[in-house]
Amino acid sequence: MLAILKREARSYYTGMVGYVVWAAIAAFTGLYFTVYDLLSASTDFASVLYLCSIILLFVLPALSMRSFAEERRAGTDQLLLTSPVGIPSIVLGKYLAQLAVYAAALLPACVMPLLLRCFARFALGTAYAALLAFFLLGAACLAVGTWLSAVAGNQILAYLAAFGALLVCYMMDSIQTLFTSGSTLAFVVFGVAAVVAGVLVGILCKSAVAGSGVFAAGAVALVVLFRLRPVWLVSAFNAVLGALALFDPFYTFVGGVFSVQGIVYYLSVIALFLFLTGQALEKRRWS
Amino acid sequence: MITVEHLTKRYGSHTAVEDLSFTVEDGCIYGLLGPNGAGKSTTMNILTGYLSPTAGRVSINGHDILEEPKAAKACIGYLPEIPPLYTDMTVGEYLRFVAELKGIRGKAARAEAAAACAARAGLQGMEGRLIRNLSKGYRQRTGLAAALLGDPGVIILDEPTVGLDPAQMIEIRTLIRDLGKTHTVILSSHILSEVQTVCDRVLILAHGRLAAQGTPEELAARLAGRSVLQVTALGTREAVLKAAQGVEGLCDITVAAEKDGEVSLRAAVTGTQDRRAALSEALGAAGCPVVALSAGSVSLEDIFLQLTEDEAAAEEKPPEQAAEEDAPAPDTAEEAACEEGPPDDGAAQSPASETGGGAPADAAAEKTTGEEE
Repeated sequence: MLAILKREARSYYTGMVGYVVWAAIAAFTGLYFTVYDLLSASTDFASVLYLCSIILLFVLPALSMRSFAEERRAGTDQLLLTSPVGIPSIVLGKYLAQLAVYAAALLPACVMPLLLRCFARFALGTAYAALLAFFLLGAACLAVGTWLSAVAGNQILAYLAAFGALLVCYMMDSIQTLFTSGSTLAFVVFGVAAVVAGVLVGILCKSAVAGSGVFAAGAVALVVLFRLRPVWLVSAFNAVLGALALFDPFYTFVGGVFSVQGIVYYLSVIALFLFLTGQALEKRRWS
Repeated sequence: MITVEHLTKRYGSHTAVEDLSFTVEDGCIYGLLGPNGAGKSTTMNILTGYLSPTAGRVSINGHDILEEPKAAKACIGYLPEIPPLYTDMTVGEYLRFVAELKGIRGKAARAEAAAACAARAGLQGMEGRLIRNLSKGYRQRTGLAAALLGDPGVIILDEPTVGLDPAQMIEIRTLIRDLGKTHTVILSSHILSEVQTVCDRVLILAHGRLAAQGTPEELAARLAGRSVLQVTALGTREAVLKAAQGVEGLCDITVAAEKDGEVSLRAAVTGTQDRRAALSEALGAAGCPVVALSAGSVSLEDIFLQLTEDEAAAEEKPPEQAAEEDAPAPDTAEEAACEEGPPDDGAAQSPASETGGGAPADAAAEKTTGEEE
């Protein structure tokens, strides 16, 4: 794992990607910090990070896009997968390398609250908690991007897919407000989900009966809920959308609240997507 | 030792490798020979754990590749068809990285192992070069050096000489021969002469099945150097065939053409004796006058092509049918049967087991045959 981590991290800096990511993040945090904090004499560092969070959408997919797509293109995955190294170590090594590059880009931001401290007295803890959340948010974005890189065949596709996915997550708040009207919409969306689940199960198990069974069970449950407890359906729908709102827990931190729930949420997202990455690699060997 | 049992790999509806069984003994150079698309690379990718088989087992030095992947992979050095090189690294960096990947502990030990393997692969003085700037030959060497790292007992090379110039080919072959003294080597190739010069044992793959195996000498003796008789006689197909099959020293008797009461046969001669007179006499005695008779010889290439192409024909019809049509079918079945005498229906099963039976000197072949029957 360490070997892969070192090689991967070094390769980010033998190319341009590492420097570009560093420059982009450092430049934007620096710019917003200068304008919002230094020039307007504010101590609100969390808002600087809040404004910078949209930069992650553009920058982080560039880090994660190459991780597995590039290996596959160059055929070097053959080396990794035939070496006496387990798939978890490969995934972890690659992911930690991205994390290291991202963390290096955040180093200038680490100094900024201390700079502010020279001019005014304020709670450093809030600022660093927001920075931690910002880091975890980025880490979760990278995990999603790594998975998409393992699934997508090439880098460009991986970048676009990761950007698209993160964009949807970013806008989830506004999407959610669109969907609060009535339970019919929730019913339709869950219905579609049941159809998709049924088709997937049918294809994977190669049995029409299993697929129809899954769909029928889902449909019955949905209809019953829709008749008896339509409110549950709406709240369940909102909960699902809420879980997709990757940026929300970070906003809680920006608001000055240290949310353990948010940290657990990010760690779970990371674990889930790294697991899925491993599964995607494993699956490719079997197909 | 590598044991492969009933290996099958399907990509969707396409079957790349079907029911492949063989054993690789320690300390030999094995050649996997077959035309493009015969399943050589797939087989190697499964052996090294890069792909998983649809069915069947692979065990390397007693470690199952699926159940104990780490232990099994530690026994193997693999050079895929396209060397898996990181082009943004130098040769030295790359080799040290692979050394670490293969679990060599300590920075000094890694540097030492990398230098030793680089020297072995003929990369002296190249350590500082970027892989991106290397020629194909040196890339191949770098891949080979990486495969040697960690001192694996088995080296698997997928078409190691493809794309090299003749001088490089000879160098790589010499290197492989040299490696064969200390390692078990499996290499794949579609070049017959290469396999013949380098390998101790040859496995011929065709359409995902094992078509033949044995030492190059055995195969050469069995396949090439044999003269072929072409005879046209008057009479029914059955009568002509029966008469020809009665002649000692002929095998692989096939009906080449049949027209207006004339039957053209093609038969291979097993010994060195001239069988023309005997054949003519036998046909005459059976009431089938000979109208034309000619002799020629077959090259190893011809036989290789025949072997691999016939597999395709055999694949299209069900095995039982193939067995029934035993005598007229230009099948590998006869290849095997010819050393034991005229073919009989009982001897015809799958082509793989047939040819396996035809190589009595090969212990591995015997084993395969035993399992399949």
